[in-house]
Amino acid sequence: MRTDIITARPSALHASDLAGQLQSLATELGVSRWDLGAACSTDTSVQVDRGEAKQLKGAQRSSITVRAWNSDGLVGITSTSDLSPAGLARALAGASEASTYGNPDDSPGFSPLATAPLAQLEQPISEPRGILELLDTLKQAEAELLGRHPAISTVPYNGLAQRSSQRIYLNSEGACREQQLSTASLYLYARAEEDGRKPRSSGAVRLAYGAEQLDVAGCIEEAAERTIQHLDYAPIATGRYTCVFSPEAFLDLIGAFSGLFNARAVLDGVSLSQRDSLGSQLAVPFLSIHDNGLHPGNIGATSFDGEGTPVARLPLLEGGILRNFLHSEATARAFGVAPTGHAGLGAKVSVGPHWFEIGPAGSTGEQAGAANLDRFSQDGIVWIDSLSALHAGVKASQGSFSLPFDGWLIQGGEARSIEAATVAGDIRAVLKGLVGFEGQAKVTPDGICPLVWVDELSITGDA
Amino acid sequence: MLATPTTSLTGDSLDQRWRDRLETVLAAGAAAGASLVEVFIESTDHIGLLAEQERITNVSPAFGRGAGLRVFLGDKDGFVSTNDLSEVGLLQALDQALGMLGLTRANLGAHHFDGLAALRDHGASKENWLRQCPGLDESTARLLEATALLNRHGDHLQARRGSYARDWQEVLVAASDGTFARDIRLHQSVGINALAADGDHRASLGRRYGSSGRPDDLRQWDAEASAIDLCSSARSMLYADYVEAGNYPVVLANRFGGVIFHEACGHLLETTQVERGTTPFADKVGDTIAHEAVTAVDEGLSDGAFGSLSMDDEGMEPQRTVLIENGILQRFISDRAGELRTGHARTGSGRRQSHNFAAASRMRNTFIAAGPHTPEQLIGSVDRGLYCKSMGGGSVGPTGQFNFAVEEGYLIEDGQLTKPVKGATLIGEAKEVMPRISMCANDLELAAGFCGSVSGSIFVTVGQPHIKVDTITVGGR
Repeated sequence: MRTDIITARPSALHASDLAGQLQSLATELGVSRWDLGAACSTDTSVQVDRGEAKQLKGAQRSSITVRAWNSDGLVGITSTSDLSPAGLARALAGASEASTYGNPDDSPGFSPLATAPLAQLEQPISEPRGILELLDTLKQAEAELLGRHPAISTVPYNGLAQRSSQRIYLNSEGACREQQLSTASLYLYARAEEDGRKPRSSGAVRLAYGAEQLDVAGCIEEAAERTIQHLDYAPIATGRYTCVFSPEAFLDLIGAFSGLFNARAVLDGVSLSQRDSLGSQLAVPFLSIHDNGLHPGNIGATSFDGEGTPVARLPLLEGGILRNFLHSEATARAFGVAPTGHAGLGAKVSVGPHWFEIGPAGSTGEQAGAANLDRFSQDGIVWIDSLSALHAGVKASQGSFSLPFDGWLIQGGEARSIEAATVAGDIRAVLKGLVGFEGQAKVTPDGICPLVWVDELSITGDA
Repeated sequence: MLATPTTSLTGDSLDQRWRDRLETVLAAGAAAGASLVEVFIESTDHIGLLAEQERITNVSPAFGRGAGLRVFLGDKDGFVSTNDLSEVGLLQALDQALGMLGLTRANLGAHHFDGLAALRDHGASKENWLRQCPGLDESTARLLEATALLNRHGDHLQARRGSYARDWQEVLVAASDGTFARDIRLHQSVGINALAADGDHRASLGRRYGSSGRPDDLRQWDAEASAIDLCSSARSMLYADYVEAGNYPVVLANRFGGVIFHEACGHLLETTQVERGTTPFADKVGDTIAHEAVTAVDEGLSDGAFGSLSMDDEGMEPQRTVLIENGILQRFISDRAGELRTGHARTGSGRRQSHNFAAASRMRNTFIAAGPHTPEQLIGSVDRGLYCKSMGGGSVGPTGQFNFAVEEGYLIEDGQLTKPVKGATLIGEAKEVMPRISMCANDLELAAGFCGSVSGSIFVTVGQPHIKVDTITVGGR
């Protein structure tokens, strides 16, 4: 008989207890204004290697970040994983001391929306599975993937993980946010090699609210299909091509240049946008981009940001026109608008997107882009499946990118994998060089998007 | 005060006083049938600072404690991390790790544990490091000085940043084979960045410097030389044209040019890659895998280098490991699990970002050794090619294909550096590129960096002299 280990849900943080402790410590230290973000989680993950367990991992994590304001209105911050009373005391004292170095020109405050009603998210909480059960699932998935094609020799990158987590936001004016969440993820990246040819690799990822809800069969199918499709490859000649981005690739590209929409980056002078860019035509008139952290496809969505502001759907580009920036409390104040729910928690508060919705501005005419696009109906189309090394190949503040990609060259209605190549361009030219969209929008971990056609991008190949 | 932090973070130092608690945990694991149990405990104290233009805009202290427990059964292992360092908390973590391998503490007496050896305390001479570091007043003043120097020496600078990070870590490693070792680590890094803009022309560049075990490092930093260097590069690159894509001979500058070896080859010489079957060099020890001009080393010993350490995260003292000698593969970089699973002996290279990660075989200070030529000879040997003065980041994929961005490049025409070019990405495969490194200069230097991989982000150095690659694919416009 086998005994399985089921990791317990994280020891619950009690928001009201934390608030009481912080208030009491704040009173002792003479801190009248404070806020706190706390998180704890329990994780279990497994990896396998050719039918054997490679590594089994478990983790219990907890952390808090405390901010304290001094009498001059300057803020300091300290983070710790020590949630003991002594740890909390040290964190608050540290934040109070760090406030001496707060920036008088840009001091964050409490979000005016930190007590506003939150959207109700449909997020079922799943009971964690036993780790040996996860292991069996992953072993079986690996075996099935290996069995799909004789050239698939290993699945060198794989993992099945589940997490139960809790996060809290509190402040000294009575804001109290709390969210519990369970998530699970599966990734399978296979390596395939045929005699005399270079190894090829590709894979797939799935997310869900629990391990039992993961689309394991779909992940195997997609990983196999993508890997096998790259087995027959050929070099591509360097030149300029019309490119069709997969939803995942285009979402990655927009994410890498999300500084375009980021009020923090605008204020810091490192965005391609300026304060007066709102209302300007950034892209073709048929492109719309929204940030919507609440989309049901966004597994692991949060209902409030690091400052307690509710997350909401926000139009960024409508008909190619820049409509809004992503804001924290401080940037919103600087722009004279309301916070948008995109803040972290810090002395200098970071701002970032949640989950993009990208697609046509409308269904017909100028709002839809070119109609009836079919990548298989034209010769010389480069179909970009996935982009790599975005951390190295994107110059966000310059607008330029030069990125390796996996993809296909389409000739005579057939797609043949490209051996090794990079795609290069400027995001501003890309946004104004869109031809149109193909197919239905696809839900991915980073957003929803159809295939996106872009004219005249530079491809460097080996042919 | 934060300005004069102490090593007494939340009470106890990690030292001899932990022996009993650790022996209890290790004995329980061994008795349950584990072939090896290892406990890694850390205490950390971090400060991050950011200056923008004439203001300090972020001061971010953080501190924490935690443990990672790893249990081996043969070559299989289970790993659990926790913030609960009480005996009960550690035993709960042990139970989880044992359970992952089908073991339980109910099966007592499977293996005997002979107790921990005497503590090897590498940290004893480092107790004062943290309080010897500059305090916040001094650190913030240095950063503001740096952004002012950028303003003084730069043109068209739209944004100027200086950043500083100080990471102090106390670690204790105990294992059921008797290993019992302690260390204190101190890493400091300082960076400057500038965004130059003039109309539609933009150039963003940065420099980062880092050290280990040198509390005085920020004080010793030559901020003016760094600012002049960065501003000179920004001036060159602001109006640079995009590089034309194609295959070129390339000369890579020394220092951070070493990222090519780190990404293209170094990762493939880690036993984690052998275990996965993702390195083309797995069975090539003794074979020629690079041009005879290439000798490559990974070591943890260089004084003050970012990747140096007194012991690795498995308690083993580091070595100087010659990876490639005159083009012939000599050794792999190995950790405890790598030795168990691949047979390659440990090299003191078991490293991890924090207690949340199991150690893995990772690089330390990795460099191509100096050769006989001058940099001018390398450039002079190229009719038409690319000179890569400054590199951005890079990565290597599961099939060995690498890429990295060129931050500052110049055309080489008729053996001379001519106009600056931007937007270049170097791509290739290690197996193909290593034999094409045909010339090494005599100006080896190291540069600090961060490496992200299976066991998290760790401090490393890359390095090389100027090297010439006969041909490589350059992605551009």
